[in-house]
Amino acid sequence: MRSNRVSNRGAVGLSRRGFLGATVIGGAFGGSRLWAQAPVPLTFWVPGGSDVVCRLQNDLAADFAAMQTAAVVDTVSCIGNVEDFIQSFLAAIAAGNPPSASIVWETPVALGARGALLPIDGYLASSERAGLADWPEGLLASCRWNGQTFGVPVVAGSYGVFYNQEMFEAAGLPSDRASFPKTWDEMRRLSKEFTRWDGDYLERAGFLPTLNWATVPIWAALNGAQIYDAENNRVALNDERIVEMLAFGLDWINEEYKGDLNAIDRSGSFREPYPSGAGLPPAFPEGRQAGIESGSWLMGDLNNAGNLTVERWNVAPYAVGPSGSASVSGTWPNWLVIPKGSNDPDAAWSYIEFLSTDGVRKWFANVPETPGNINAQVDLPTAVVESRGAEFAADVLEFFRGQSAVATPMWNVPIQGFLNDQIDLVLTRVYAKEATPQAALAEAQANCEAELSRVMAELQ
Amino acid sequence: MPSPTRTKPRSAARRQEARAGWLFAGPWLVSLVLLTALPMLATAAMSLTNLGIVDWPDFTGLTNYDLILTEDPSFWTALHNTAVYTAVSVPLRLMLAFGLALLLHSGLRGVAVYQTLFYLPSLVPPVAATVVFMLLLTPGAGPVNVMLSWVGVPAPDWVRDPAWALWTLVLLSLWPLGVEALVFLAALREVPAEVQDAARLDTRRPWERMLYITLPLISPAILFNLVIGVINSFQVFAQAMVIGGTTGNPSESTLMYLVLIYRMAFRYFSLGYAAALSVILLAILGLVTWAIFRLSRRWVHYEGGQR
Repeated sequence: MRSNRVSNRGAVGLSRRGFLGATVIGGAFGGSRLWAQAPVPLTFWVPGGSDVVCRLQNDLAADFAAMQTAAVVDTVSCIGNVEDFIQSFLAAIAAGNPPSASIVWETPVALGARGALLPIDGYLASSERAGLADWPEGLLASCRWNGQTFGVPVVAGSYGVFYNQEMFEAAGLPSDRASFPKTWDEMRRLSKEFTRWDGDYLERAGFLPTLNWATVPIWAALNGAQIYDAENNRVALNDERIVEMLAFGLDWINEEYKGDLNAIDRSGSFREPYPSGAGLPPAFPEGRQAGIESGSWLMGDLNNAGNLTVERWNVAPYAVGPSGSASVSGTWPNWLVIPKGSNDPDAAWSYIEFLSTDGVRKWFANVPETPGNINAQVDLPTAVVESRGAEFAADVLEFFRGQSAVATPMWNVPIQGFLNDQIDLVLTRVYAKEATPQAALAEAQANCEAELSRVMAELQ
Repeated sequence: MPSPTRTKPRSAARRQEARAGWLFAGPWLVSLVLLTALPMLATAAMSLTNLGIVDWPDFTGLTNYDLILTEDPSFWTALHNTAVYTAVSVPLRLMLAFGLALLLHSGLRGVAVYQTLFYLPSLVPPVAATVVFMLLLTPGAGPVNVMLSWVGVPAPDWVRDPAWALWTLVLLSLWPLGVEALVFLAALREVPAEVQDAARLDTRRPWERMLYITLPLISPAILFNLVIGVINSFQVFAQAMVIGGTTGNPSESTLMYLVLIYRMAFRYFSLGYAAALSVILLAILGLVTWAIFRLSRRWVHYEGGQR
């Protein structure tokens, strides 16, 4: 007979029988949820603090929790701007309390080569939906160093040339994608049909050569060259085909745009389809530019541009340079990585797997960056469906997925930041007539070789 | 017999007072050690290694210093830009701040309001201020260039022309003068009235009174603003980053020393190298500050003739 004795301190005591009874009862429920292991708490960091992105990532974390119970993303931290994020990220890794997983905007090659990230080859080998074969080779190159893989490009906006069909038709030119120029010479000749100056004011522009360090690797590949030879770990900025590419661009600017980039910039934002640093509105959405290179994300951003007047636009592959043989594209990925010191790499990988397969569907609906995983299913970009219809939206979606497949290897250099800065400096010096393309590229090559040697010595 | 000159043991009250002093100074001393001294020592130690991000570094001795001084052209570019920026902006800031202080000291009605207005720019975050200035200086459509065109002055490309970008940074530095002006104002108010009255009897020329009476009497404040101004100018960062990024666009004309350190640490992930740059900056600032204090013996006058 069980008796409950109340002790002097008010505690309820159990007799030996009572204790045994409680143990039996507890054992009967041993397999139930009452006794299940608590889900692994994960923290997830996101660079950039835009509200849309932050809300999206929180929604995805909630979706993940609804799908399974082994892990839960406790905290999604959207950390300030890019500079704030990388400082916080590196400090957390060095201090031993990094997030469980993170999106990064720095190439995993640079971070992984320096021991900041965990290799994920084991996970890739065993994953059924996010394995090695599920990622385009050109994309995955940005994550691989010394035979190891340090992340996956969950989304990788692929590049193409957005062009204004209305401007083409007004000039009596066919505006379908198949008729778009196939070579740089054709593109340059066509560009002259559109460009119009009013004194020193650029009223309207055709096309521009690359003026952005981020797309120089694409233009180099279009002319048959590679900025970086991954197999031999060698930067090749002084390749004669890259010199030719830059000389072509300089000649183009000199002939069509008065050789004055400042005059272009004073007239509006022609380099990018976004407002310039000086607050000038973007020319392409305003209908003042025949075409501009950009990534798939522009599909969504075009409709968010307050001054959109272009109703009919399309996208086309890049034209090929004189020394190139085939059109290629490029990408600007968001990478998912597991930092060194992650509290639970297995659980972190499960979240990465979810994001890159199921989660990317909602991701694309909010920010239409092409999924990296070739098996990821996405819906048609809402903004394009609403403005141009489902058929057109399906067509451009398929176009950008195809562009991912022909993406040239990019973001795969252990000195990526240094290389990007050197390319930026080359462009500035060449277009400001401070140096010839050959001299500027030769100096950049020497600087990159010295830096690569120094860093490789550090990494050994 | 005990010597008559032997000092008496400290009294209990004295000991208690000393303890209280240490107690009150304690938190500051602890923070000085933990947050200043130890990080400085750690930085110096890091500068002798090849520290990247997380891997345990190897000792490399003075390799980083050798590379910086002999093989890194960006170091000399950044040092040159920073030195020019400091040499021009600091004297200009001192003169303008002194002018503001004189205005505030002139007995205007509502001087407290002016004081507040002149101090407000110092409270604006430098990034926000720089972005606003870039909009004001937009070539073509910006208000500044529009007004210059009204008077027939050719408008420069303030942030995109390498010949102008650095001077644009200097211009930006002249906006928040509140702190220096308040220091000067406090010093002007400390100038004894009887001295000023005696000076008025000696000479009627205001500039002579300023040169021989006022400036010497406020010379400690000038020294203070000079030293702080030099140190702050050498550490300009936010404005340079907004205008030129980590590459010092255009053409490295806005590449400042602190931007270079940031770039090496957080863009190129070479923390040992960045630490060496920091130690070199400390040495330069120490040398410059020592030189200023040394030269100040000739022109700074302290009350009671003390130095």
